[in-house]
Amino acid sequence: MTREILPVADRKQVRAYARRLTLRYPRELTVALLLHGLAAVAGLAVPWQLGRLVQDVQYGGEVNVVVVAAAIGAFLLLQGVLVRYAVLASARLGEKVLAELREDFVDRVLGLPLSTVERAGAGDLITRTSRDVDALSRTVRHAVPETLIASVTFVITVGALLLVSPLLMLPMLIAGPVLWISSRWYLKRARDGYLRENAAYADLTEGLAETVEGARAVEALGLQERRRARTDDDIARSYAAERYTLHLRSMWYPAVELGYVLPVVATLLVGGLFYTSGWVTLAQVTTATLYAQQLIDPLDRFLMWIDELQVGGASMARLLGVANVPDDRVTSASSSPSGELLEASDVRYAYREGRDVLHGVSLTVQPGERLAMVGPSGAGKSTLGRLLAGIHGPRAGSVAVGGVPLVELPLDDLRGHVALVTQEHHVFKGTVRDNLVIARSDADDQAVRTALEAVDALDWVLELPDGLETRVGSGGLAVSPAQAQQLALARLVLADPHTLVLDEATSLIDPRAARHLERSLAAVLDKRTVIAIAHRLYTAHDADRVAVVEDGRISELGSHDELVAAGGSYAALWTSWHGTPSTPNQ
Amino acid sequence: MRSLPEADPGVPDIRSPLRYLWWTARRQWSTLLTGIGFATLWWLVQALMPAVLGRGIDAVTAKDSRALLLWAGVLLGLGLLQAYTGLMRHRMAVQTWLSAAYRTVQVTARQAARLGATLPKRLSTGEVVSVGNSDIAHIGSSMDILLRGTGSVVAIVTVTVILISTSLPLGLLVLFGVPIMALAVSPLLRPLHRRQRRHRELVGDLSTRASDIVAGLRVLRGIGGEQVFAGRYREESQLVRQAGVGVARIESVLEGAQIVLPGLLIAVVTGVGASFAVAGEIPTGQLVSFYLYAVFLIGPLRTLTEAADKLTKGHVAAGRVIRILSIEPEVSGGTASSPGGVLRDSYSGVTLQPCSLTAVAADSPDDAAAIADRLGRYADGDVTFGAADLADLPLAEIRARILVADNSARLFTGRLRDELDVRGGATDAQLREALHAACADDIVEALPDGLDTVVAEAGREFSGGQQQRLRLVRALLADPEVLILVEPTSAVDAHSEARIAGRLAKARAGRTTLVCTTSPLVLDRTDHVIYVEDGRVLAEGTHRQLLDNTPAYAATVTRGED
Repeated sequence: MTREILPVADRKQVRAYARRLTLRYPRELTVALLLHGLAAVAGLAVPWQLGRLVQDVQYGGEVNVVVVAAAIGAFLLLQGVLVRYAVLASARLGEKVLAELREDFVDRVLGLPLSTVERAGAGDLITRTSRDVDALSRTVRHAVPETLIASVTFVITVGALLLVSPLLMLPMLIAGPVLWISSRWYLKRARDGYLRENAAYADLTEGLAETVEGARAVEALGLQERRRARTDDDIARSYAAERYTLHLRSMWYPAVELGYVLPVVATLLVGGLFYTSGWVTLAQVTTATLYAQQLIDPLDRFLMWIDELQVGGASMARLLGVANVPDDRVTSASSSPSGELLEASDVRYAYREGRDVLHGVSLTVQPGERLAMVGPSGAGKSTLGRLLAGIHGPRAGSVAVGGVPLVELPLDDLRGHVALVTQEHHVFKGTVRDNLVIARSDADDQAVRTALEAVDALDWVLELPDGLETRVGSGGLAVSPAQAQQLALARLVLADPHTLVLDEATSLIDPRAARHLERSLAAVLDKRTVIAIAHRLYTAHDADRVAVVEDGRISELGSHDELVAAGGSYAALWTSWHGTPSTPNQ
Repeated sequence: MRSLPEADPGVPDIRSPLRYLWWTARRQWSTLLTGIGFATLWWLVQALMPAVLGRGIDAVTAKDSRALLLWAGVLLGLGLLQAYTGLMRHRMAVQTWLSAAYRTVQVTARQAARLGATLPKRLSTGEVVSVGNSDIAHIGSSMDILLRGTGSVVAIVTVTVILISTSLPLGLLVLFGVPIMALAVSPLLRPLHRRQRRHRELVGDLSTRASDIVAGLRVLRGIGGEQVFAGRYREESQLVRQAGVGVARIESVLEGAQIVLPGLLIAVVTGVGASFAVAGEIPTGQLVSFYLYAVFLIGPLRTLTEAADKLTKGHVAAGRVIRILSIEPEVSGGTASSPGGVLRDSYSGVTLQPCSLTAVAADSPDDAAAIADRLGRYADGDVTFGAADLADLPLAEIRARILVADNSARLFTGRLRDELDVRGGATDAQLREALHAACADDIVEALPDGLDTVVAEAGREFSGGQQQRLRLVRALLADPEVLILVEPTSAVDAHSEARIAGRLAKARAGRTTLVCTTSPLVLDRTDHVIYVEDGRVLAEGTHRQLLDNTPAYAATVTRGED
């Protein structure tokens, strides 16, 4: 039930991409198709031999049983060998294409505009990365080769039938309308039916995951009955979805089966009459009947996999859609900032049209200054922080560094000037060192240690089983949220931008430890501009200036002492927090 | 067919994996047996096809139009019967699959809810979640395959009997040839499964890598490193590709072998049939039947291999399921009762007076959490509730009367109103009050449908501070006799925290409340503060008294550096 935030590619784009992908390796494709074709031909030789055999036996022709058996065996052996190489060739090609598909997708994800990344919840993107990549893998690994092989085999079998006797092709046609009409009816409904089925199944497993992850809350709040009901509801919905597709298949399968058996019956019957009339030979009737039977397999394969192709197409549309996000930066390479003075003037911003969350904020931050932003949640602190970090452009007004608007800086330049760390605490899969050197791959051991020391993390990192080389993140050693925040800050120290925007960057660290950390961080970040959005007042107390943000405006701005002396809302808060009205620099 | 899910999934037999599967099968006997019946008929119809087609060819050979019409009619009839039995078999198969899978989900989810706080201590989330992701499918498939599997045995026996009655040597050839053909490919299966496992692992790693990139995308786009991560993904993606080709290398041999091995049988059977026909021992048409019998046998043969595979996987999956089902909750309750009163943890010395708003400030957050766990009976301890030992009260009663709300407690997916008012029956006014007390009105206002908004992904779209405030709303609405809040405002900004602290007393008037916190904003607004050092009570009083007369307390709550 994730909201879809990112765009989805249209049908035309998907088709064009699929075509490009198919034709990118013409040689491999030709070889694979050729091998499958030859295998089909070898498979067709056996009924043909059998037809001749029947005729020879009937008319007392010269029959060498051993030769016949050996020939049948030889053709099947040949078919087996050809199938082996055909399957391998198409698997090779499929794996190659598949690898390209997913690598392209990850490249596109890594190129997503910053503003989109910040706004879109991870949900949509994670669904695309896991479920859609999986679905597409299934399609490319199974559905595409199966339908392709089925088509080749079908065409060749029909061709062979025409060679044996064009006349005996006629009874085959009887199956056409049955298969065509029923399959069209089915396919029109199948895709949505199966998507619904998969979604219901996903809800079911997610519901179970929720019960498990929240097991303690379930016990504490007495939610057992509710979780039971939720499971049973999910099952009921999944069952309804399953019943629907079962209903579709219940209509379609019998029609298809009828479509398979009709040609065999018709060929036998009509062929027999033709033989009686002397229009065809006995060998032709036998072979044609067996071919009619042999057509069932490719037809069946094709029809069974065709709806999977549709599902793969839908997944592909979502994977390609990621590339449709327009770039958000209007970079003008000509201008470069003349300094590190950060200036916001009369900034307004709205997430939804007509509902400004910032109402004309002006703020100048001197290089090397430490500014703390406090205020109630929802007042616009984080929004202002993102604007000051150049992630979004303001709706009106401007945010500039050294006279150049932030949104006009190319991304690589922007990173050198300002970086944002939020309360998010993701630890990448890899070693502790990997997690830190992301922004500066050339950082040496000393630099890494210094950065860790600056965030009070060196001690515990060195106590890990392998120190800096300890594997953390998914599948590795579990790191507490507080430690994860320390790593994020150490990473930022290494990246060393001129201005840092910290949005509650220490919120998960124990308050007592957090203050120590912030002070040692401040020592390392001397001369750097730091804008800290804080929910702990000591951060404000320790800053050069404090900005109180309320209702999308800066209501108070000044040093801690000035604001306390002014007796406004900050002073009131400080008093109740600290318990004494005086400035507490005892 | 019975509609699913069943209201009561029953009590599973967890003595062994096989018994679990047997229990699952027994719970749906009738569907299973009907399905086996249809599957057997379906195979038999197919087994008869070659004979009828052979008669048809004989009729053609004899230029006997009436016989031809008859046999063509029989063939069509068999075709229709095959379509019908095939459909019924499929419907029964789907039903048994679903019934087994759903039943497993039901008993697993019920067990997870029953285990409650014990679960995270004894099992990893992944272990239980993988039941939903793969084990139920394996268990379902192990039921489903019983239908076709049983039928295929009957089909093989039937064809063998037909062939033996035609020619003893031919029948014996098939009788022994078929299992030999089946066994001949088995040396390939072990390396195949090994490579498939490796491929699956690499695919899993790759998808973890991709999720890792997505989850950390803000960081990567914010401060760089995209190229490094794209490179790593590419490397792993190529490993997956190689492993995939490795799998295909064996799979393709297997596919080839599945043509060649039966091919040998087909060649021999056809050859023997031809010699009979030449000698005039059988009619020509039956030669075609022989060939078709041999071709037909490939189907049931493959089904048998499939059955062995699916039953093995089902067995392994059932093993994982019963491991989860056999865990017992760690804490148990008694049968005593208590009118309530003072709640006291004798190890730490923390005492809660009824109807008071008390705070515990501990020098270590873990100590505070441990005290909360003992008071709420999530851990064993010497705790008294009024005159009674807490351990003697029924657990359900303790849960209903004493609520420990900590920050690991999560929100659940659903309509926000239902997820906040978990005990049900709160009025709009009560909801508004609770939202106001937890300073969460603005969160609800910003939602498109207010309280009717469906919270997706367990509230992960809310920020940490928002989730915390919503959890507080939920705890307040539950309105327990004793509410123990562990760090309820740690992720909330100072402005909101001050408001919440000021509103908490009113929201909990007439009830007992304990807040574990070190925030002066909250401590200052409670009736009574208990300072805990090294897990034991060191001092008690009001916030201001303690600030004045207990330096260690002052250091703890004012972060020690002033």
